[in-house]
Amino acid sequence: MLRSDQILATVEMIQKENLDVRTVTMGINLLDCRAATVRETCRAIEERILERAGSFVETCNLVSRRLGIPVVNKRISITPIAFVGAGFDRDGFVELAVALDRAATSVGVDILGGFSAQVEKGMTKTDREYILCLPEALAVSEKVCASINIASSQKGINMDALALLGRTVKDIAIRTSHQGGFGAAKFVVFCNQPGDNPFMAGAIHGVEEADTVLNIGVSGPGVVARSLERLIDSRNGNGQGLRLDEIAEEIKQTTFRVTRCGELVGRQVSEILGVSFGVVDLSLAPTPTIGDSVGEILHILGVDAIGAPGSTAILAMLNDAVKKGGLFASKTVGGLSGAFIPVMEDAVLAEAVGRNELCLEKLEAMTCVCSVGLDMVAIPGSVDADTIAAIIADEMAIGMVNNKTTAARIIPVPGKEAGEMVSFGGLFGASPIMTVRNVGKSSRFIGWGGRIPAPIHSFKN
Amino acid sequence: MSNHYIISVLSEDRPGIIADITGAVYELGGDLAELNQSILCGYLTMVLIATFDDDVTASLLLSRLEAIDSPTSYDFIVRDIAAPDGCPPSGPPDKTYVMTAQGRNKKGLVHGISSLCYRHNINILDLATTRTDDTYTMILQLDLSKVVAIADVRAALQELAAQSGLQVMLQHHDLFKVTNEIPL
Repeated sequence: MLRSDQILATVEMIQKENLDVRTVTMGINLLDCRAATVRETCRAIEERILERAGSFVETCNLVSRRLGIPVVNKRISITPIAFVGAGFDRDGFVELAVALDRAATSVGVDILGGFSAQVEKGMTKTDREYILCLPEALAVSEKVCASINIASSQKGINMDALALLGRTVKDIAIRTSHQGGFGAAKFVVFCNQPGDNPFMAGAIHGVEEADTVLNIGVSGPGVVARSLERLIDSRNGNGQGLRLDEIAEEIKQTTFRVTRCGELVGRQVSEILGVSFGVVDLSLAPTPTIGDSVGEILHILGVDAIGAPGSTAILAMLNDAVKKGGLFASKTVGGLSGAFIPVMEDAVLAEAVGRNELCLEKLEAMTCVCSVGLDMVAIPGSVDADTIAAIIADEMAIGMVNNKTTAARIIPVPGKEAGEMVSFGGLFGASPIMTVRNVGKSSRFIGWGGRIPAPIHSFKN
Repeated sequence: MSNHYIISVLSEDRPGIIADITGAVYELGGDLAELNQSILCGYLTMVLIATFDDDVTASLLLSRLEAIDSPTSYDFIVRDIAAPDGCPPSGPPDKTYVMTAQGRNKKGLVHGISSLCYRHNINILDLATTRTDDTYTMILQLDLSKVVAIADVRAALQELAAQSGLQVMLQHHDLFKVTNEIPL
């Protein structure tokens, strides 16, 4: 029999602390949907998605109601589209995006990810056509998210692709300038992109995966923040005598509980649908909702400004404790699994940008110790393509050398300058535009092209 | 043939009550099957099931219990029951839910919730309530096996919450198990 305090602790997590299962993402293999023409391929893709995910949303809702825990997002990830559409041109890929958008709408999912390519070592003709299609594809579709892997610890960084992408990110933003450059919020550049990440915009169904797999993303920064506040409060109201190892332990135990909820939902949904259960991605993914912020946890743990010295060390501890708690709670862990710091999606981080407490360079340093990189960072629309490419290159280098996933989702907001606000609404959030220093001073570097060779994997002293 | 009895005990709490009762059962050659006890505001209540040879009648058992030399007074009820293995299996049924209700204390809160359960054919498996300052907390373990649509129950709860000012949550028992127990 459960004790009353255990029951009340769980109820508090759901009722007051924003505990939810952030996303259930169904990965669907589309490799065999390639047909002789674009139109036939589109039809095959739509039929496949309808067949596999027809009752997906309904089942998630059923399990959510049955257990009494919210499942916020229901999403689909697909085989990177550049593999599926091998040989198609730019217009063909735009048609694929439209078909995917239609399929996502018809099965009722929030977002579909995997409009992607993997070019960490070299680009095919198809990959180049795919990159060229992105501004149009992301403008004419609503629910489709794109991502591209241009670097890995094993292969290095494809700087030719990177140079193209600096331009592409700008073009995507300009093509959606009527929405403040929103298209760029649906496009992520990766180093070491995992094939089983359920979080958007970077979810794909990797080619190493089975036909259909269910991956779960749990979150819960609010739950961690409230449990830490309670712990501090229990020591004379000010955390007297509390030490960091005790705090790390509290985070670990809270993450255990949060992950368990995701595991339970995942197992039940996969059992009903008869789909194999993939992984639980245990990430602290903030939302713009007040009280659901990773930045707030940094505040609670002792820095009065996000970006102040100490922010990186706290984040390192948080990220590690989240992993330790989650790993024990779940049968299979994968995806990104760590603390996210997406600026626009985290109200406290966005506020710190507005106060000039958090700059791009400190944010970059913080991404060395957590998931997932320079995420949802709004910069002035006037920043040139090569500077954007160079910002991305720095982030890729961090992932490559540290054998971790890093990503860049940079939004050059057309017509706006540093300090002005941009808002996309809903889960995508809002923030002031960040200052980029030393603009226009990296062109010679980007101009080289070629590859940055993979780092050495030995002699690590 | 054996006789099976369910015995109910109420007493002011003190050390030695269980030793007293089980001692009496043992002296009459009884075999204890199940026992459950609870303490509330200094009072202990206990129910137990025991099996005896057929010459131990209910009145004999009751008189032996009443003969216990005790500094506190006991209230006993002894009833004949069918064989204990006729009891439902232990462990919660599949559709076990946990309901919590919290709010400002006022009369009729438990009655309101329990009547709602009754109207929806929900059996209350366990109930614990506490009052701290002016806040009243109820934790109920419920069997919803006979409920057709849980959405109806949730709608009724929402209505009750609006009327009574209680914050009511209803979640599956599994959720509490996975967040508080290691095995899954």
